[in-house]
Amino acid sequence: MSESALPLPFEAKSRQLGFRRKAARLFGELREAVAQAAYALRAHRLRATLTISGIGLGIAMLIGILTVLSGFQVSFLRQLSTLGPNTLFVHKWKWGVSGNDWWKYKNRPHVTHLDWRALEANANLPVAIAPIVSTDASVTHAGKELKHVDIRGSTSKYLDATGWEMRRGRFLTDLDHELGTDACVIGADVEEAFFKGQDPLGQRLRVGPSTRCTIVGTFLRKGNSFGQPQDVRVLIPLSAFTRSFGLKRGLVLSVVAPAGKVTQTEDEVIAVMRNARRLRPDQEDNFSVNRQDKLLQGFNKMTEALNIVGALIGVITAIVGGIGIMNILLVSVKERTREIGVRRALGARRTTILMQFLCEAVMVSALGGLLGVAAGAGAGKLVDVLTPFPASIDPLVVLGGVGGSILLGAVFGIWPALSAAFLHPIEALRYE
Amino acid sequence: MALIELEKIVKTYDLGHQKVAALRGMDVRIERNEFVAIVGQSGSGKSTLMNIVGCLDVPTSGRYRLSGRDVSDLSDDELADVRNLEIGFVFQSFQLLPRATALENVELPLIYRGVSRKERREQAAHALDTVQLSDRMTHRPAELSGGQRQRVAIARALVTQPSLLLADEPTGNLDSKTGEEIVRLFHELHERGNTILLVTHEPKLAARCPRAVRLVDGLVVADGKGRDVALANAEALGAETLAAFHAAQAAQASQRLP
Repeated sequence: MSESALPLPFEAKSRQLGFRRKAARLFGELREAVAQAAYALRAHRLRATLTISGIGLGIAMLIGILTVLSGFQVSFLRQLSTLGPNTLFVHKWKWGVSGNDWWKYKNRPHVTHLDWRALEANANLPVAIAPIVSTDASVTHAGKELKHVDIRGSTSKYLDATGWEMRRGRFLTDLDHELGTDACVIGADVEEAFFKGQDPLGQRLRVGPSTRCTIVGTFLRKGNSFGQPQDVRVLIPLSAFTRSFGLKRGLVLSVVAPAGKVTQTEDEVIAVMRNARRLRPDQEDNFSVNRQDKLLQGFNKMTEALNIVGALIGVITAIVGGIGIMNILLVSVKERTREIGVRRALGARRTTILMQFLCEAVMVSALGGLLGVAAGAGAGKLVDVLTPFPASIDPLVVLGGVGGSILLGAVFGIWPALSAAFLHPIEALRYE
Repeated sequence: MALIELEKIVKTYDLGHQKVAALRGMDVRIERNEFVAIVGQSGSGKSTLMNIVGCLDVPTSGRYRLSGRDVSDLSDDELADVRNLEIGFVFQSFQLLPRATALENVELPLIYRGVSRKERREQAAHALDTVQLSDRMTHRPAELSGGQRQRVAIARALVTQPSLLLADEPTGNLDSKTGEEIVRLFHELHERGNTILLVTHEPKLAARCPRAVRLVDGLVVADGKGRDVALANAEALGAETLAAFHAAQAAQASQRLP
């Protein structure tokens, strides 16, 4: 026995723990619990890895779904904003019509020049009214052909009514429409296709089989809308359009309401239209006044459904992952029953044991969560790169993924941990 | 003031269909710096007594004072604190944490009383030094011999400077030579002023203790000098064994009768 003897056993010593001692005890116990949990996971690598990847997969799936959904939403809202919140679209068709009503709308009369004239003459509230008609045709210049160009006919009000902007040159004037001139304004993609590095102003294009026109201006690039490119377009005066393509296509009247008076303007437009079409009081409208916010409502309804499905999948994967945690923890408690008894004999309180096993559960689930967030974010990025949907990774989703998985570990770990904490020390010590 | 005062301790286990009395009104007093062996056959109530003295269990009735403090009906957490502060356990099967080093094992009870990391290291190293294992501090239990493991366990019990060392068959899993080393270590610790309660079924061990208490069926039947009690115990055991042998023979003989 060494000379450095232990102090005598019944030396005066504190039999009560003060606050500082208790804090130190908590810290020490927590530290030890983390170390032991790390040991336990390393000792059972396969078991831990399987559980962790299970949770990781679930979280990854959930985050992937949420990322794609929120990206979808973001892009939709951005595109919707191009329509302008104060703009009404008078059209034969109602936006977002499902299959059953198709024939009803199909059989309505087209919105015509007469409707446009009536609105121009009788509606007082609108700031601007632009009639728009469009078709698909090919465009040629200097022997080069560009197919599937969106050919639009409209008036000088088009810019005010749609929010498009000019890059160079001038826009169509009232005179262009009245005289039916050959002036045209081209989209950025058309400009790029024919006039890369050249000045397009004053150049001639052939639109469709026979119409020739002269470029007077170009549009600023707009980008895609709902996955469709918008910059492959040529805008010509409405009169020039009808001269070349006839009257068989219906118009869309883009009506800009003064700010804050969208509903009044809508009412006025409906009244003028009904009057112009001589509809009896008991007849339904045979036209639709579409609004951007109505489209938004429909979209919100759809995303709500998608979100619910996403959340449901999330809950199910969480439960499956949680059962995995509970299983691994029950095994761990069983294996370490004697150890629990020893710890209790040496002075560990129930909360100490509880903390120890909760630590293990949370460690498993947090690792799973981190793995899942990483994989989910990666999958989201992949969607962003490979598909037209801009998947945006929400930092809140990441935080929620990690936080949620930690909570998951705690919730599903609590029962095994409690069963460990409430083992009787003697029975735990005797356990074989 | 005695360190341990047990008054009319009764412990009854409820097995559902019947009640089993393990201790039936036991009175024992143990002073500080005593070295007492508890002997008795299995089923005599030794383990139950040890569990109650070690504050792992509470008596059904009766009063147990440890250092003058009544611990008969403390809450679970209070009992845990008493175990941590007052009692050092040494088990038959060592009960070391397999994944922790010798030093970490010895540190464990200090964690439960909030000793800082640095102090813990120092005190644990010191305790290991006391049992002459300072060169084995970073070894894990699997890398130690049985005797070394038990010495680590003793260091773990000593590190908290407990009022009472409670050893349950500490030599039961050791060969006789190593067992002897451990017994000598206990005697040395006793000489340094530790109070030791040793539960054993080996008369030889009890005979070397200054005092021994013999239990039969949950009652104290002998309490005195270790040698005397051990001798009486051995004789009683011998007589019982002989009686059992005779009874068995008689039973066999009677079976052979036509």
